[in-house]
Amino acid sequence: MSESAATGPRSFEALARAAARRDALDERSLRREFVTFTLDGDPYALPIERVREIVRMRPITPVPRVPAAIRGVISLRGEVVEVLDLRRRLGMPERAPTRASRIIVLHGDDGAVTGLLVDSVRDVLRITEEHVRPASGGEADSVAALLARGDQFVSLLDLERVLELAG
Amino acid sequence: MATRRRGDRRRTKAHREFVSEAEEILERRRDELTDLADGRGRGAEPDPELVNRLFRSAHSLKGLSGMFGLDGISELSHHLEDVLDRLRLGRTQLDDAALALLDDSVALIGSALEKLEDGDAAGVDEEAALLIGRIDAWTAAPAPSDAPGELELDPAMLRALTEYEEHRLRENVRRGRRIHVVDASFDILSFEEGLAELTAAVREVGEVLSTLPSPGESPESQIRFSLLVASELDAAALAARLELPADAVRSGSRRAGEASAAQPPPDAPETRDEELAAPARETDPDAGDGGPLELGSLKSISETVRVDIRKLDELMNLVGELVIQRGALAKLARTLRHDPATARAGAELEKVHKGLERKLQELQAGVLEVRMVPLRQVFEKLSRVVRRLRRDTDKEVRLEIRGADTELDKLIVEELVDPLMHVVRNAFDHAIESAEERQAAGKSREGSIRLEAYQRGNDVVIAATDDGRGIDVEAVRRRAVERGLLAPGDELSRKELLDLVFAPGLSTRGEVTETSGRGVGMDVVRANITALGGVVDLDSIAGRGTTVTMTLPITLAIIQALIVGAADQRFAIPLNSVRETLLLDPRDVQRSDGRELLNLRGEALPLRRLALEFQLGASEREQKQYAVVLGIGDARLGLLVDRLEGQQDVVIKPIQGPVRSVRGIAGATELGDAGAVLVLDVSALVDDARAREVREATGRRAP
Repeated sequence: MSESAATGPRSFEALARAAARRDALDERSLRREFVTFTLDGDPYALPIERVREIVRMRPITPVPRVPAAIRGVISLRGEVVEVLDLRRRLGMPERAPTRASRIIVLHGDDGAVTGLLVDSVRDVLRITEEHVRPASGGEADSVAALLARGDQFVSLLDLERVLELAG
Repeated sequence: MATRRRGDRRRTKAHREFVSEAEEILERRRDELTDLADGRGRGAEPDPELVNRLFRSAHSLKGLSGMFGLDGISELSHHLEDVLDRLRLGRTQLDDAALALLDDSVALIGSALEKLEDGDAAGVDEEAALLIGRIDAWTAAPAPSDAPGELELDPAMLRALTEYEEHRLRENVRRGRRIHVVDASFDILSFEEGLAELTAAVREVGEVLSTLPSPGESPESQIRFSLLVASELDAAALAARLELPADAVRSGSRRAGEASAAQPPPDAPETRDEELAAPARETDPDAGDGGPLELGSLKSISETVRVDIRKLDELMNLVGELVIQRGALAKLARTLRHDPATARAGAELEKVHKGLERKLQELQAGVLEVRMVPLRQVFEKLSRVVRRLRRDTDKEVRLEIRGADTELDKLIVEELVDPLMHVVRNAFDHAIESAEERQAAGKSREGSIRLEAYQRGNDVVIAATDDGRGIDVEAVRRRAVERGLLAPGDELSRKELLDLVFAPGLSTRGEVTETSGRGVGMDVVRANITALGGVVDLDSIAGRGTTVTMTLPITLAIIQALIVGAADQRFAIPLNSVRETLLLDPRDVQRSDGRELLNLRGEALPLRRLALEFQLGASEREQKQYAVVLGIGDARLGLLVDRLEGQQDVVIKPIQGPVRSVRGIAGATELGDAGAVLVLDVSALVDDARAREVREATGRRAP
């Protein structure tokens, strides 16, 4: 009985707290986070929500009968994951992986995962919407937008395009 | 357009599933009704469990048909529920009229389902409405009333009974059974199992009328129940039978003490209160001791546990990882032993490893065994289908089943239902001739389909044999040429021609009947079986019959593989498709019309070089090579590799990423040290090699 009397003010308080939290959330949602990495000397970015983990280079088993951009598969704690060589995918000059090379493991929409081989991983970029510029026409193929960081532009990859492979 | 078509297909698939599920319910209901009528014929009381089952089946059918917008059937099922509810509550007796209503409803729903399968359910609602009218007339008849029995029971307990439970109580008293209250306490975490076991034990000697949580004090981790039980046994005998302490069973019947039934009821509540309350209080003080004691005695009944299959999968994965770790350990031991400085430690490690290996094998076998289920369920489903087909058509076909106890991994058994169903329906529809045709051909009028399962090594073989018309290989050839699968002059053996039955889009009979799952051919059966790591093969003699043989691994989780090397890469080949391996002298390789062959004991074995097949880069031609002889059914292929690296247990994992499926690769596995190793899809490789030969031969012939 005393419980039902207490629900009034308590739920009121809860409502107020929820409202405050929602405001904070709105502000934060304007600021988005990206993982940045380099390819052939230039900076690129991916939305952080798509990144499951980043792992060091490890033996890649070549797979026959797949497009050349697929370097092969790696074994990741029991999962077998294809690795897409982003240099090959974007038509950049070939280069053997180095100590700095990393594999960025992505979540797929359907729960499946894919690895992206990149030259190195830099940091997490936090910017607000006003720093996002449309991509210039020529690169529209695989770059979704340009992210302004100081006086430098970071290319945001269009993941759906990049992962759509011929064959 | 494309999406709409897909939507339609899904709807028809859902529809088919509905029809088959409804048919299953109906099939069971027919059997139950027969039992009910038989019981009545013998003059016995209707078995309450049987009436309950009928009630539940009407309820499921109501929900199912409602979901599919079949209002007539749904409404009819609702009224049937009413009828059965009255019967189970004892409000009405089972009479001829009730039985006729139930029988007619089964017939009506059965014919409605058939119409539905034809895609035309016209007239069903009207027929249902007529029957509903009859049901209403029947239920309007007055129900007999029953005087409540006299019992020594806690009124609180009586008040808690549902109408049905009260009816069962009265019914049991009327029949002179004794009524008891059985107290039991269980561990709060596992009381459901304990209660289920106790209930099952009671059912062997009587009926559980009601199960009520008991208010008596009990230790925190325990929960108490009182079961209202009807039985021929007296309290002491019941307690002994249930392996419970004597004071856990209290008599609720007066007749135990020969008390006169004439005792005025108004007195009863007080004495009852005391009688019931006192023992409860008595047992409370030693509930601490009594609890474990009761549990201990219940444990003797406990023999089974239900486990979520996913938990078993996790366990299986863990065992798989352990198996891989063991492989790494074996390799380490070998390396150590080969170095003189560490040879002794290496030898020790190898010994330890041997012990580990044995235990691991036992563990693996143990986990596998838990996943095994007999094929019986699938076979029973098939025999129901054949019974239904036999009823709906005028064919006379007998289904014989052998080896229903053969066990397979639960997951495989589930995936087998569709392909087996297809094979059996094919046999029924196409292979078995009409009785007249059979008689004219000098066969028995009744055709037979034999399903046989047995274990062979690490595989289970399921063979479906019919004694029907068999497959005419010349008809298959003509059809294949028509479809462009074969050039007119191609020389194919009888075996190879029969194998064409599995080619997509080749059906040996022009017509497609209602029951055979239109347009789905043996190619789908092969695809299903191959996906399970199995192999399907067919043999047939025109006029005599056909045998479809499916060979399946006992489990999907771990397979034995042969590890081979080609160029600088390693591959795993499932051992169940490796027939033999040969060290090859390059001079033995013969060429015929640009193709490489090997004379294998007089047979020409076509050869493929794995390094070329997968463009792995050059492997030295002069270097010694091995031929791995692969066999899928009767087809053979020699796969040339550079190295044989031994056998190993591997866990096949699917490959994740943008390119999902690669022809010739079944998946990948981890070999401990070197990351992922690809597992070859042998049946795709063998198929491709054969298809290429046919293509090349055809290409050369055409100018």
